[in-house]
Amino acid sequence: MTLQNPGVLSILLPLVGLILVLYILKMKRRDMRVPATFLWPERVEEIRANALFQKLRPTWLLFLQLLALLLAVIALAKPQTQQKGLAGEVTVFVIDASASMSATDVQPSRFAEAKRLALEGIRGAKATDRIAIIEAGPTPRVISSLSNDPAREAAALDQLQPSDAEGAVGDAMRLAAALVGGIDGARIVLLSDGDFEHITNFSRGKAAVVYRSIGTSDDNLSVSALGAAETPKGRQLFCGIKNHGSKPFGGTLSLYADGKVIDSLKTPNIGPNTQWGRTISAPAGARIFEAKLDSPDFLKSDNYAVAIADPNSALHVLLVTKGDLFLERALSLDPRVTLDKSPDVPASEMAGRGTGAYDIVVFDGIPEQPVKARGVLCFGAAGTSSPVTASGSAAKPKFVSAEKKVLLDNVDIGATFVDKQQVVRPKASGEVVAQSSAGPLVVTSQDQGKRQVYVAFEPLNSDFPLQVGFPIFVANSLDFLTGGSSSQTLSVKVGQPFSLPITEEAKLTSPDGDTTVLKPTGSALTIRETRRVGVYLLDVKGKTQKIYASLRSDRASTIRPEKNLDLGGGEVKASQSPSRFADFWRPLILLCLLVLAAEWWLFARKS
Amino acid sequence: MSVMLLEPREFRLLDGLRLNPRKSFGGKVRGERLTKKKGVSIEFDDYREYAEGDDLRHLDWNVLARLDAPVMRTYRDEEDLALYVLLDSSASMGFGEPTKYSAASKFCCAMAYVALNGGDAVVPRILGRKEANPITMRGRANYPRVVAWVTQSRDLESSSVGLTASLRAFAAQSARAGVVLIVSDGLDPDIASALRILGGRGHEVLFLQILSDVEIDPDIEGDLRLLDAETGRATEVTANSYVLKEYRRRLQEHNQSIVDVVRRIGGRYALVRPDQAIDEVLQHVLKREGWVK
Repeated sequence: MTLQNPGVLSILLPLVGLILVLYILKMKRRDMRVPATFLWPERVEEIRANALFQKLRPTWLLFLQLLALLLAVIALAKPQTQQKGLAGEVTVFVIDASASMSATDVQPSRFAEAKRLALEGIRGAKATDRIAIIEAGPTPRVISSLSNDPAREAAALDQLQPSDAEGAVGDAMRLAAALVGGIDGARIVLLSDGDFEHITNFSRGKAAVVYRSIGTSDDNLSVSALGAAETPKGRQLFCGIKNHGSKPFGGTLSLYADGKVIDSLKTPNIGPNTQWGRTISAPAGARIFEAKLDSPDFLKSDNYAVAIADPNSALHVLLVTKGDLFLERALSLDPRVTLDKSPDVPASEMAGRGTGAYDIVVFDGIPEQPVKARGVLCFGAAGTSSPVTASGSAAKPKFVSAEKKVLLDNVDIGATFVDKQQVVRPKASGEVVAQSSAGPLVVTSQDQGKRQVYVAFEPLNSDFPLQVGFPIFVANSLDFLTGGSSSQTLSVKVGQPFSLPITEEAKLTSPDGDTTVLKPTGSALTIRETRRVGVYLLDVKGKTQKIYASLRSDRASTIRPEKNLDLGGGEVKASQSPSRFADFWRPLILLCLLVLAAEWWLFARKS
Repeated sequence: MSVMLLEPREFRLLDGLRLNPRKSFGGKVRGERLTKKKGVSIEFDDYREYAEGDDLRHLDWNVLARLDAPVMRTYRDEEDLALYVLLDSSASMGFGEPTKYSAASKFCCAMAYVALNGGDAVVPRILGRKEANPITMRGRANYPRVVAWVTQSRDLESSSVGLTASLRAFAAQSARAGVVLIVSDGLDPDIASALRILGGRGHEVLFLQILSDVEIDPDIEGDLRLLDAETGRATEVTANSYVLKEYRRRLQEHNQSIVDVVRRIGGRYALVRPDQAIDEVLQHVLKREGWVK
């Protein structure tokens, strides 16, 4: 026990002395004449004010008053007791629900152990302690807000499910800091293995951060690479296996093409942090390649990978922009897109010999340049390679007309307010899709395997990004530029939300067989439910689309439990049994009141 | 209050009552009480042989005629009974409402009236002070002298002798044995021994204890210095429930010791309050207990 205000103890002795002085003062009694005194017992209780000094006679009243004084002075000194336990007066449990937490080196799993620790903390908390729980999954989620209702917190904890996705632990910690960072003595308890992206821009405020490291081993193999490529030797399938652990071991790799086994091989013992690869001939015509690894490692979700041999199933897009979050987000929503961003076009992507790294280049307000990509989407800055010739600019043009083209399906471009647009004239290859009072508004072209879409205004010079039709227009443009509609087979990164231009209600069946009914928001259907690795079936009006969710993340496959964490503001060490200081003055005050009540009762009886 | 201390109604109640002692005592003058002595009365006692000089009026002629032997009839003598009225005039008798002394005076007068009315001798004595030679009163006509005696003895604060000492002094006197009526609050720690001495002198003790509410159920609280009304001795007490309970226990023990001693010496005991009327005391105490008949 420690005292926060030990100086108060110095007043104890003077006060004790004062009470003793009151007791050694001789009592001035009232005279009363009685018939005889021999019948009266010689019993004297000193309980009232006095006048002259006399010998101190110990009484229960004196003892109780001294006891009450002692308790009150100790309470004023604000004693604290040190207690072990995860929960403090105000606690936020941040439970890492990332893929690595599914590792089974701790039985039954790291995630289950994290839940157990949180539950232990909830049960060990005092009645006045407030606890919140945050799930650090792909998207941080407060599953139980600050409360002192253990039953509700335990129920929320019970509903928590692991995921095979990368967890946004940084966002979850920032969310926790936002919740309790302003509260003195608050505590953020991170239950994790520490295997997540380095956290920056984190400030814990007044809260203390307690990190409880979960996990004992780093043994893990993952399918780190799987891809089909057309080579002079024919279609080749490459598969890579990486050992993320600290000791060498191997497994059995099975490769499938369109669901049929095409090869099964035993890998050699792969050294620590070493990748082993194998290239085999892939059957012609096969579209879906899967790799399944059977190994005695502790994380199974990264032992599966899928590659779709469809040029449109995965698109590498380069966004050349000075910065447009709306456009960036609209492009990222498409599950096929792997997006890179740059303020200008890299020299390797400029038109010339060879093939570029990108399928599509998007120019956002930056003049279009000739590129190797097979599709170009240009906003508000026509260049020499554009299907239009620019001749100036016009302010606040009025919408005139639009063609019924697939590009504008579910897009009401007529309702868009444009502040400024380029005045252009279409080239011979250009086809005007929408027209404004200042000239062509949207122009497309198809020439020698190359497709282009030109929009005469920048998104930020209009309210187009704020309309529901904007991401649909972007998705329609990607479809047009790749020469077809969306693929019936998608490969997505597990846990990453994505949208599809679907306006109907859809039913999603998970690899476990669980079904979820999804309703579209506006003109898009956003899917966030792909939390586990495997094949999902999306049923829209009887038409089924396969969605392959796989985890291919070096970070997530590294399951080595971290003992220390750098949380931006400083290093946090793993703690087994964090302690807390609990104020102890309330019970003392209560006891003091009880003693005073007893003293009053005794005084009343003696009076 | 009447100058005779008692009301006419109370006199009427007392008329016809006689003291009813358990013992018989020898008297000094002829009276109305039978004694163990042989004498002249109509109460036959025994036969004895004739002796020369005997009064022939007491010769039993019938026996002489049948047995031809002179036999004398003897009779019990009738003498007066001495009632010693001992009135406690110590300072403690000044407590109560009305005061214990005023009530005691009335009881003394009532008993003296009964005795005088019955032809007994009344010897009034004041306990608590030294007194000149006692006077003996006989006959109802002396009742006003009893009242005067009681009235003159009212200065309670001038008491100089304790209750026990007064009783011992009385016992030490060579007075003839009789009925000793003690009207007192009995608040003296050694009273039991004094009563025992009285019994030893052949007296029949009638102890009429008068206690007021001040003694029986004192209503005091707080931190007090109690001053003894008689000795002036101070006792410091904190009057709380424990002390009052202890006081009541001691009072009960003290009274019980008086009762035990009085009964052991063949006397009678009664406890009355100063606010009790004469007729109530007569009816419920004196008559019921057989003090008078």
